[in-house]
Amino acid sequence: MIDFSLSPKQREIQEGIRSLGKYVIRPMSLSMDRNKEVPESFLRNFMKLAKGFRSDDVIDPLEEGASPRERDPSKPSKVSEVNRTSAIAAEELAWADAAMLLSVPGPGLGGPPIRATGTAEQKARFFGAFKDMDKGPLKWGAYALTEPGAGSDVAGIRTSCRKDGSDWVLNGRKCYITNGARASWNVVFATVDPALGRAGHRAFVVEKGTPGFEIGKIEEKMGLRANETAELVLEDCRVPEENLLGGEAAYITKEGFMTAMKTFDNTRPLVGAMALGIGRAAFEYARDFVKENYVLSRPIPRYAAIAERLAKVGRRLEAARSLVYRATYMADAAIPNAKEASMAKAAAGQAAIFSCIESIELCGAHGSLSTEHALLEKWFRDIKVYDIFEGTGNIQRVVISKRLMSGLKAF
Amino acid sequence: MISFEAGEEQQLIQQSVAEFARSTLAPRVREFEKARGIPEDVRRGAHEMGLGLMSLPEACGGQGLGYVAAALVEEELGAADPAVAFALPGPGAFGRAVVELGTAAQASAWLSDFASDGGDARFGAVAWSEPSPCKDRPGFVAVATKVDGGYSLRGKKAFVTNAHAADRFLVFAQVEPEKGWAGIGAFVVRKDNAGLTVGQRYDTLGLDAADFGEIALNDAFVAEEDRLLGEAGGFTQATLRFFAKQAIIVAARAVGLARFAFDIAREHCDTRKAFGKPIGHFQAVAFSLADRHMDVESSRWMVWKAAHAWDAKIPEREALLATAQAAAHALESCMRTTDDCVGLHGGSGFIRDLIAEKLMRDAKQLALCCPTAEQLDQVAAALDLGLALDPALVLPTPDTQAIFT
Repeated sequence: MIDFSLSPKQREIQEGIRSLGKYVIRPMSLSMDRNKEVPESFLRNFMKLAKGFRSDDVIDPLEEGASPRERDPSKPSKVSEVNRTSAIAAEELAWADAAMLLSVPGPGLGGPPIRATGTAEQKARFFGAFKDMDKGPLKWGAYALTEPGAGSDVAGIRTSCRKDGSDWVLNGRKCYITNGARASWNVVFATVDPALGRAGHRAFVVEKGTPGFEIGKIEEKMGLRANETAELVLEDCRVPEENLLGGEAAYITKEGFMTAMKTFDNTRPLVGAMALGIGRAAFEYARDFVKENYVLSRPIPRYAAIAERLAKVGRRLEAARSLVYRATYMADAAIPNAKEASMAKAAAGQAAIFSCIESIELCGAHGSLSTEHALLEKWFRDIKVYDIFEGTGNIQRVVISKRLMSGLKAF
Repeated sequence: MISFEAGEEQQLIQQSVAEFARSTLAPRVREFEKARGIPEDVRRGAHEMGLGLMSLPEACGGQGLGYVAAALVEEELGAADPAVAFALPGPGAFGRAVVELGTAAQASAWLSDFASDGGDARFGAVAWSEPSPCKDRPGFVAVATKVDGGYSLRGKKAFVTNAHAADRFLVFAQVEPEKGWAGIGAFVVRKDNAGLTVGQRYDTLGLDAADFGEIALNDAFVAEEDRLLGEAGGFTQATLRFFAKQAIIVAARAVGLARFAFDIAREHCDTRKAFGKPIGHFQAVAFSLADRHMDVESSRWMVWKAAHAWDAKIPEREALLATAQAAAHALESCMRTTDDCVGLHGGSGFIRDLIAEKLMRDAKQLALCCPTAEQLDQVAAALDLGLALDPALVLPTPDTQAIFT
């Protein structure tokens, strides 16, 4: 049945994160941004408080999970609401602080490719690393695809890999890698021969401390400053063959590239949900500012202009949210959703940017004061990247277009 | 749990209406347009399917299927011809208004005969807007004066859908002039009332097959029991609920219209070749389509969500907000999509041999058949800001943009 109400479990998660966000995370938001760090003690505390609705609790990494694209649609699959629940949780956490959300320990964006392509042994080994975080050190995973010379054009990566005995030798540079420096392992994409295009791609799990794996510079960014964005350098980096994701058999076809892409069907709607969290934060801030500070009774025409602007932001966020829910619903139902995932990401990123820009305007001169209204200024800086990472708005439209037009392989 | 899958019964209804729209309506759209109405066989077919009675409560002869089912049905009709959706027999807006504003007994008295014999030629109408705003005080120019045993209505009402076909009207008029928009009332007036005359039928930009006109009331007597008081939650709230539900119906038609416009635009971009390849293989063209696809899909999900909000009886302010957002978005998306549909066709889009030009005209007309996007945004802002729902602010009064009802 067509339904838009949350399940009791989802409501519990939403309310739990909302109050944690409001009373614990949000008060730390500005200082984390200034200090360009989310303190470990704070993360540990958060992990304890959020037990039960952390992504590693919501998603069982060892579950036989596959991306919708590789499932056989004729076979019924287990009913799951993991993607929908994750979207709800992601929006709430991003509402509190988006950089903090990206810094939460766990496999992060490195999780989906391992879940989709890793062998049972690899899943156990790499996800197993996060099991003892409650007592032991905090750990992260990361996803290293982008290079200085290849961003949107993923097929153009130049990081090389060649087999040498029972090792693979990797050479190249990766950039803009979220949590890349602190990660216990990075899923690194490389090519056996650039001339082979996508068929030449291989995905490796490169563990921290592997000889030849070095951290380059940590980037200074417009926003999301509390979250680490790193450059990775691979110089004759020897990776054992058991760290080739999925094993050699997985690369007989174009699978290597598909590993990189498949990840996005599940993560793009979640990135969209995060964008909505920031957009909603700005919208609510402006709404409350208008409510508390403005004289709404006179003169009416001026009230109307403010009201209409506010309402437009609200409904654009809501339109994007409907696409996020739709894409995650399809992922949960194992219906191929590459187009819908891109629509969710494209619409949400832009709706949230619109919200952050309009919210400052709605608050007038006050809105630009970075002392009194520092959060507005921070969200304005944080949000822009949501139309860039995980595929720019234009790249999303390329993905959508290919699924709308017949026979369109590339522009 | 969030789900986008229609229930079994809803799917069956949707399929049968889609089939009716495809086989009976779609091939004859230009014929209906030229005739400025639909012929008897189409009216009969629709009546036999019960199309006009689906969302009406069972107590007054309806099927009580709710607004999600109605949204599915109206999308299919809108995809074939949104004008026909207004011209199909049944209580239409009148039914929705009487259910919200009347008592159960009044609703049953005024709506039950739509399901019976002769229902295929029976229409109701709502007379809300007026030819021009009242300049000397807030409120309607048309007045209802208390007389022995009832009211005497005087004034002109404008932009009335089915003005010529309807045999009963819900007329809004000023009862207490000193109270402004809080002093209005609603009265059921029969067509055979000696004080009622139906005026001219408008020539409109779009929706040619739908009948829009004026009525005039010249000391029309209405008995006390035919005044609808909107007791549940107060008159303003009940009237607002009526406009919200009307907006869902119109928005669902807009989703259908936009879907059809998108489909033919996509098809054209797939097959029309320029510079040696299909025009859809150029980014500027494909990206416009991608944006319109997002518009159409998000509109549908938002309309479903709003419809579900009323069916699930969530708190009224939340349902009103979801509705205002959904309808404003769907109406604007529909306009953008039909606009791009004409544009992507190039010169041929402007020629009446193709259907594209009609879709664009219909889209603009449709956007005036329920509270406008601007009025809906005012409602949403009032809800967002926690303001009291002042009738002058949240009702689509003809003080600013007049609307068709």
